[in-house]
Amino acid sequence: MALIRVEHVDKSFASRHGSISIMQDISFEVKDSDFVAIVGPSGCGKSTLLRLIQGLDHPTAGSISFRDQKVDAVCPQMAMVFQSFALYPWLTVAQNVAFGLEALSWSPERIGSQVERYISVTGLDGFQEAYPRELSGGMRQRVGLARALAVEPAVLLMDEPFSALDPLTAESLREEVLQLWRDPQLPPDAVLLVSHNIEEAIQLADRVIVLSRRPGHILAQVDVDMPRPRDRKSSAFYDLTDRVYSLITEGGSAMASKTRPEGAPSAG
Amino acid sequence: MPTTFPKCNPTEMMGLLVLLNSHKGSEDVALLADDLDLEIDEIFPALEFAEVLQLVKVVEGRASFTDLGKKLVGGSIRDRKAIIRDQLRKTTLFKTLLRALENAPGHALSDEDLGQIVSLTTAPADEAVQNIVNWGRYADLFRYDADERRLVLTRRAPASRPGPGQARPPSPPGTTESSSSSSSKSTPAAGPNTELRTAIVATATS
Repeated sequence: MALIRVEHVDKSFASRHGSISIMQDISFEVKDSDFVAIVGPSGCGKSTLLRLIQGLDHPTAGSISFRDQKVDAVCPQMAMVFQSFALYPWLTVAQNVAFGLEALSWSPERIGSQVERYISVTGLDGFQEAYPRELSGGMRQRVGLARALAVEPAVLLMDEPFSALDPLTAESLREEVLQLWRDPQLPPDAVLLVSHNIEEAIQLADRVIVLSRRPGHILAQVDVDMPRPRDRKSSAFYDLTDRVYSLITEGGSAMASKTRPEGAPSAG
Repeated sequence: MPTTFPKCNPTEMMGLLVLLNSHKGSEDVALLADDLDLEIDEIFPALEFAEVLQLVKVVEGRASFTDLGKKLVGGSIRDRKAIIRDQLRKTTLFKTLLRALENAPGHALSDEDLGQIVSLTTAPADEAVQNIVNWGRYADLFRYDADERRLVLTRRAPASRPGPGQARPPSPPGTTESSSSSSSKSTPAAGPNTELRTAIVATATS
């Protein structure tokens, strides 16, 4: 059964010059235990799409469902991790992780043990009492991750989660997200990652959805059938990267430089 | 074990190990850096730290996992942390620091004491102190109370995690500062911790 089903979704915004179409006729599915990445040039509506899926905003046309239920309000089975971490600077690590749980009618003991569990699985123990300002970027994003996972979502939505991190830190966190996703004892069942970094998408995902520039529509869904950890310097990896770059550039993208940049685009 | 602690945080070092793992556990240092579009000196601190913790050896410009390093990357996030904790404990600096915490009143050290201990074994810069505190916290060997500005020993049962309910909310930021830090402005040798400092020096120089 599809976990998430996106069907013929259009999204447009009203402006002084009439309506601006952000995306057109987007359809895809996310199944249980899928790791799906969405790539595309900036402005193609990637982040908007995540917001629509979570129910933070509504499509202009088409529909989005989660486990066959139409998403028409914020779906509690999904949690988001942000590029900017979005932590509360006046709250400690433990309090930030507890934040999403306080809306639930749980006892303080249950909240406490849930917080402790997700602090531990994300490698944050020792930092419970720290404030975000005391933490490196990598540790801050772990807090963002722990906060999202603490509500035990079926789907983890990630909006450029590694883009604000230095390359080594990003490398470490990518692998940890894979670890968490693969662990059957832990949420999430599925991950939907938005990235402008094609190599990152291919490194992580089972399937890469390639969007065109605005108004975004799906150019292709590319399966990534390579064992992990994936070697970015292998020819299979290189060929796939090349294919996705070509799709985007031939799709009329404004992002494209004429030649493919050498090596990985910096994660930072 | 050497006690020079390069400036690098635990997540960066893990990133290097993950990278090395995707190169099947052994690779030229230059090619590792190249894979992330980094200059070679940008990965040196992480590499050196991994060497200090005996997770990686570098021979003739080629980095390879030690058996322990291989075990670490194969483990869960929690398993990795446990290995890093054990390895940090073997270093002179952490030995000294943990011993000082054991002996300190309330198992806590002020920023001042801490700076002094770190300066005995490594460069006396604030950055170095922060770096060490960060690693010790990461390994859950001690916690740092930012309100009280002091380092406090973590009490732990040997193998398992302490039970739930540990996430106690500390007092909000900005309400303290006054209580602890000002009272201990004594000169190094004459404070209440003279005995402690003697012990530290003895450990550090042995």
